[in-house]
Amino acid sequence: MADFNVRSDSVNVEHIMEQIRARIREKRGVDYTEQQIRELAAVKLEKFLDPRGVRSDLLDQFRKVQPAYEPPELPNFAFEDATLFESHRGPIRGLRKLLLPILKLFFNPNPLIQALNIQSRLNTMNAERETRRESARRQMDQLYYELIHNLVIETTRLGIEVKNLKMRVESVSSRLEFNERRARALESAVVYKPSEAEAAPVQQAPAQSQQRFMPPPSQGRPFQQTPPRPQAPQAAAPTPAAVAPATNQGQPADAGRQGAPGEGPGQRSRRRRRRRGRRGSGSAAAMMGAPGAVQPETPDASASTDAVDQMDAMDRMDDDGAPEAEASRAGAVEEVDSSPPPEASAVPSTDSAQSPPTGPEESSTAREPQGSPEPGRGTSSEPGGSDTDTQ
Amino acid sequence: MKVAVVVQRYGQAINGGAELHARYIAEHLARHGQVDVLTTCATDYVTWRNELQPGVETVNGVSVRRFRVKHERDPRVFGKRSDRVFEQRHSVGDELDWLDAEGPTSPALVDYVGKHAADYDFCLFFSYRYYHAYYGSRAAGDRAILVPTAERDATIGLSIFRPLFRSVRAVMYNSPEERAMIHAVSGNQSVPGVVVGIGSHVPNNPQPARFRQKYNIRGPFAIYVGRIDLNKGCKELFEFFQGYLKDPTGKLSLILIGNSLLPVPDHARIRHLGFLDDTDKFDAMAAADLLVMPSYYESLSMVALEAWALGRPVLANGKCDVLKGQCIRSNAGLYYETYAEFVGTLEAIEQNRWLAGSLGRNGRQYFKDQYDWPVIERKYLEMFERLKKEAPAAPDPLPGWLDRRRQDLRPAEEVIAALPKGPALHAPKHASPEPDGRRRA
Repeated sequence: MADFNVRSDSVNVEHIMEQIRARIREKRGVDYTEQQIRELAAVKLEKFLDPRGVRSDLLDQFRKVQPAYEPPELPNFAFEDATLFESHRGPIRGLRKLLLPILKLFFNPNPLIQALNIQSRLNTMNAERETRRESARRQMDQLYYELIHNLVIETTRLGIEVKNLKMRVESVSSRLEFNERRARALESAVVYKPSEAEAAPVQQAPAQSQQRFMPPPSQGRPFQQTPPRPQAPQAAAPTPAAVAPATNQGQPADAGRQGAPGEGPGQRSRRRRRRRGRRGSGSAAAMMGAPGAVQPETPDASASTDAVDQMDAMDRMDDDGAPEAEASRAGAVEEVDSSPPPEASAVPSTDSAQSPPTGPEESSTAREPQGSPEPGRGTSSEPGGSDTDTQ
Repeated sequence: MKVAVVVQRYGQAINGGAELHARYIAEHLARHGQVDVLTTCATDYVTWRNELQPGVETVNGVSVRRFRVKHERDPRVFGKRSDRVFEQRHSVGDELDWLDAEGPTSPALVDYVGKHAADYDFCLFFSYRYYHAYYGSRAAGDRAILVPTAERDATIGLSIFRPLFRSVRAVMYNSPEERAMIHAVSGNQSVPGVVVGIGSHVPNNPQPARFRQKYNIRGPFAIYVGRIDLNKGCKELFEFFQGYLKDPTGKLSLILIGNSLLPVPDHARIRHLGFLDDTDKFDAMAAADLLVMPSYYESLSMVALEAWALGRPVLANGKCDVLKGQCIRSNAGLYYETYAEFVGTLEAIEQNRWLAGSLGRNGRQYFKDQYDWPVIERKYLEMFERLKKEAPAAPDPLPGWLDRRRQDLRPAEEVIAALPKGPALHAPKHASPEPDGRRRA
């Protein structure tokens, strides 16, 4: 209340109180009176979470309230030939009948009788038709009411269900986010410290990076003909332990190759992330593995692992929501794809490895090979990367 | 001029609101004529035990005649009869029984008033709710003037008091809210009445520094003066102030003066100094940044007037119509009804020196205009003069035997609940003109 404002020279307590109350309302929203609070407290919370629990007896109530239809008794008359001359007194009736020929000397009553007779029948027909129409209208009304009633109920149910689903999606999203963070934390928890014996093989990374960024055969580039495979064993040699997780997870050896033909740009970015995922595991394996971890190259070495699959799954989710990251990653891959023939391909691959990370994953993976002489280039030590990329 | 002041208790050591009011009025009217005080031997307003000697004595130059109380109050019977008349349908007889149980039942005092009323020009009856006022005003006849000191509690809803308000010669109200309430409950607009209130003996040169030094108090503080009681709203005050203390920007402490019937919260910034004499009390009020008056029921609040007389702003409970009305009319105090408003108003006064100063100045001026002793005395004397010229109205007849037993009276709480609420900011049509308009600094 430090900036309490009194605008006039004189003090008006009511005005000041209004200002104070307005400030309180601004701070905490609507100021309920005690009566309103009591009313709110008295209201029981309704269970509205289960959409199947939505019931309504409005229709029954409507039917109960609506009175049964009784057609109105419209005035009418019966008019026949002898109606004009009828009387409850017999002599008068006889006299009229006797004098009828005389009456007909003055005017012809037949058209009048016919007209009134027709009118009487018309009245009856109209009343019957009106009754039928009203009855039909009321039936239609009930149908409409029932229809609207059912629509309202269904809409309510759907609304509740949508809310429930939204909450569920939110819950799943938060769990997913948590899992991602946990995965990243676990990845970054691994400390890389290559031993002296491993330092030399790790330094071969730039040369092996040429193999990693070979364009796919479908693009028909000239350097496709350069056989990368003979170099793969060399690449696998420094960190053979990286192969072990793949084989230990029991994944098929060619699992990583299946998606290679006909890849799109999104798949390329996923591929890069997959490489990073393996890169991390490979480096960790190199760190953890004993000197005897050097193993001959096997096709299984490039097989995907569960961890990689998880990373792929995360990649798929990331691809949906990060266009700028996707574009930068795709651009980096395109830069590699459009690189010169094999003898010059090492340069763009190095550039791409040195390019600034475009997302959190890249930054984390860039930090991983802390023990390598050239941190940005340690990615080339992975053995299976060339296999996957070149497929 | 000879005036009798009839009050339930009287003495220098008696500090009840109505009793102090009566003493001040008696002592000030004694400067303009002869004043006799007629009272009981009781000093305790709960038991009404006869603790003083009956007879005549002089207190501060005023003759005081005491009468014995017939029986002490039985709390059990009084509680039972209170439940009956406040919460259930009942009869006039039940209300009279309640009045007898409430006390101080002193037929001797009433007899004396009946016999000697003619010796006085007027008899001032203080506190409508007690035995002496109900029966004494009838005994005094057309010389009875009532100073009701009524609060908005259930007692005002009892039917026996409606004829009392209508049959006295005049009513000296404490506040416009009290007048509006009595008008609403009894329809006594035709009875001459004036809002008078009471002045106070505020020292001209209080010593705030002396108080701070004596009690080792530093920093700004709000002060509460009075009985620390649930009925005075102190529990709510403690809750609200403890909430305020959690705000790091607030610097105020709370100083409590008065006897405590409630546990005082244990906090470094809440201090209870107990009962202080007037010198220390006024020094403390002069040293305070503001006076807090959390009471729900007040007919005037002399403490608030004293704070205003000392130029201190008042923060009052807005649920009390009288206090709220006083704050609005004087433009000398703020009021709260909720915790947020309490904190907001407290911070407004604390952090805005200009506002606090303006409120204090308004309060001082309001006290000077409305509650300075010359003003109070003049209002009483003018009323006496007016009544001498006007013919008295016929009093309402007492209820008959059958009427006293008819169980057709609503519970008093229902009656009071139906009365209009809120501060009386507009003078009633039938009220006599009086200078209680709202002021601005």
